Amino acid sequence: MLDMDYSPLLLSLKVAAISTFFVFLAGVFIAYLLAKRDFFGKSVLEALFLLPLVLPPTVVGFGLLILFGKKGWIGSWLVEWFDFQIVFTWIGAVIASIVVSFPLMYQSAAAAFESLDERLSNAARTMGASEWRVFWSVVFPLAWPGLLAGLVLSFARGLGEFGATLMLAGYIPGKTDTIPMAIYFAVESGQMEKATFWVVIIIVFGFSLILWVNWWSKRNIRRFTRS
Amino acid sequence: MKHFLFTALFAILSIFLVGCSESEKPEEAELLISAAASLTDALEDVNSTYEEQHEGVKLTYNFGSSGKLAANIENGAPSDVFLSASSKDMNDMEDKELILDGSRENFTSNVLVLIAHKDSDSRIDSFKDIDPADVDHFAVGEPESVPVGRYTKETLENLNLWEPLQTKLVMGSDVRQVLTYVEMGNADLGVVYSSDAFVSGDVKVLAESDPEWHAPIVYPGAVVKASKHPEAAQDFLDFLTSEKGEKALQEFGFK
Amino acid sequence: MLNVRIHKQLAHYEMNIEFEMGNEILVLVGPSGSGKTTILNSVAGLVHPDSGMIVSNKRIFFDSNEKPMPARERKIGYLFQDYALFPHMTVEKNIWYGVKKTQRNESKEMIKQLLQVLGIEHLLQKYPHQISGGEKQRVGLARALAARPSVLLLDEPLSALDKETRQQCQDELLRLHNMWKIPFMIVTHDLDEAERLGDRIIYLEQGKIADETWSVNNKNKQL
Repeated sequence: MLDMDYSPLLLSLKVAAISTFFVFLAGVFIAYLLAKRDFFGKSVLEALFLLPLVLPPTVVGFGLLILFGKKGWIGSWLVEWFDFQIVFTWIGAVIASIVVSFPLMYQSAAAAFESLDERLSNAARTMGASEWRVFWSVVFPLAWPGLLAGLVLSFARGLGEFGATLMLAGYIPGKTDTIPMAIYFAVESGQMEKATFWVVIIIVFGFSLILWVNWWSKRNIRRFTRS
Repeated sequence: MKHFLFTALFAILSIFLVGCSESEKPEEAELLISAAASLTDALEDVNSTYEEQHEGVKLTYNFGSSGKLAANIENGAPSDVFLSASSKDMNDMEDKELILDGSRENFTSNVLVLIAHKDSDSRIDSFKDIDPADVDHFAVGEPESVPVGRYTKETLENLNLWEPLQTKLVMGSDVRQVLTYVEMGNADLGVVYSSDAFVSGDVKVLAESDPEWHAPIVYPGAVVKASKHPEAAQDFLDFLTSEKGEKALQEFGFK
Repeated sequence: MLNVRIHKQLAHYEMNIEFEMGNEILVLVGPSGSGKTTILNSVAGLVHPDSGMIVSNKRIFFDSNEKPMPARERKIGYLFQDYALFPHMTVEKNIWYGVKKTQRNESKEMIKQLLQVLGIEHLLQKYPHQISGGEKQRVGLARALAARPSVLLLDEPLSALDKETRQQCQDELLRLHNMWKIPFMIVTHDLDEAERLGDRIIYLEQGKIADETWSVNNKNKQL
């Protein structure tokens, strides 16, 4: 094995896992709230949610710096009240990863909820189920294959996030060096062996995640199909 | 959503196409100058004065990182003058006999400066005063891949500050990013070229580096061998090293 | 007793309807789009009238001046078209879904009897996609009745079945009604079926009652 620092792997997994946790909660909640509801400005709101998907990472990163920088709108407030800094910490990497992977989760969740048969929820309601129970006993299990796809995509996206992360979390070896950053700086400085190692790791990870979720959802869709 | 995307795509494409179709008329002697990105502001300022004084000559710039420009020229991209930010790239060109013998000359140099946000109350006035305990984040160029980072590392190592600052170093992927970290107030201190600090209104220079602390930061220029206007190219290079040219560059923080 | 007065603006016409029913089988007949399902949904609380009043045994489901009672509190049994069984639950879980925890013990005997009458005891561990259309219809019925509703709503309950099963299920419905003695409101577009099942038939057209008939004979025939 190469003689090198393996901390980027652990850091990347930590950042992606924590970011996916929040993205999943927020994505599912907001998508369910908006599903099958129509109001003025809904499409504007949805376009806003999906914006990080089409914006260049540097634009997202710059926006995040304006919000969370030491002198930013939210950042200055956090520093003043809690002496807490987001820029140049791994939490910054989590926030960048949340912002860029939220669109994927939202889209998957919205599609999953949209395709559910409204009558199933209504049947549960007429049988005395609270909205809470309708969600957990009917909506969630039936939407789960779609939600899981969103979850895995978000995780993979978080694992690969680079541009916005570099701007918000910076590159501090041993502290905020995720795998994509390790790859970038290894390539720039001509350390091809090191770069190749991380590239292989991230490809194997991303590929097996997507492969697994495809296999899993195909199996489950078959299980629930009504004859 | 789909509609929106298509409209946006179409708009972007049409701008692109219009931009491409407006080709410029060739001038009598059009000098193609491949210059390091850090020279952008200074050279654009020089442009009009030079063209007024040299009728029939038109300057066209191609800015980029020195390494990339050198590779382009090597691969046959048309170019008359090469203005590099690093001796290493110019040495390569010389070894490959891509520049005119005897045309190489260092036309300007740069120094490292220690910068802070313009509202900073830091009292540091020398690199030696940097106290690692007082610093949260210190922005530098990544030393393996960014030239300014390499010089910064040399300097800080010379002052025995590199090791103590290790956990506070935020490494930018280029000098522009180092500047941004300090401009937005996210890093307390940073090190960039004096010419970079010069064009930013949001940072102040606390100290200049001593040339003894790092390898000299010089900008070598040369006429490209494949140039079709070698004389006009040499004239331009001479102008840069003349008193007038030197002054123009100094206005932008070069030494 | 169920009193219904609905006024509601729909896409193509205005619905104006008023009727009252006892523990009988009321059949709503009419061409598609005449507002039959809207009436069921209004009673169930899945949609709300613009104005009017819906009262079941003195419990006010809807009153223009008050906040409508939410669907989950109305104690309605609703058999949806295509039954809307939960595909990820076994037949047993489906049937017990609406039974409150506190009522589990006292419901056991009743549900056992219900399963017997409908002949679906052997399906309990199966999933909805593993059983036939007729079986699904019976499971749906059992599920709707298991929570002891005060009204049963049936939306085209037999339309998905073949002719033979349909006849069988009609008999079952009549038998169940006889056991339960609560208002059954059935929507259908099949006139024969309406006449066979209904104590009373309401003909709907464009959201209004076009005709109303009482039948005296069929119920007696079945009993």
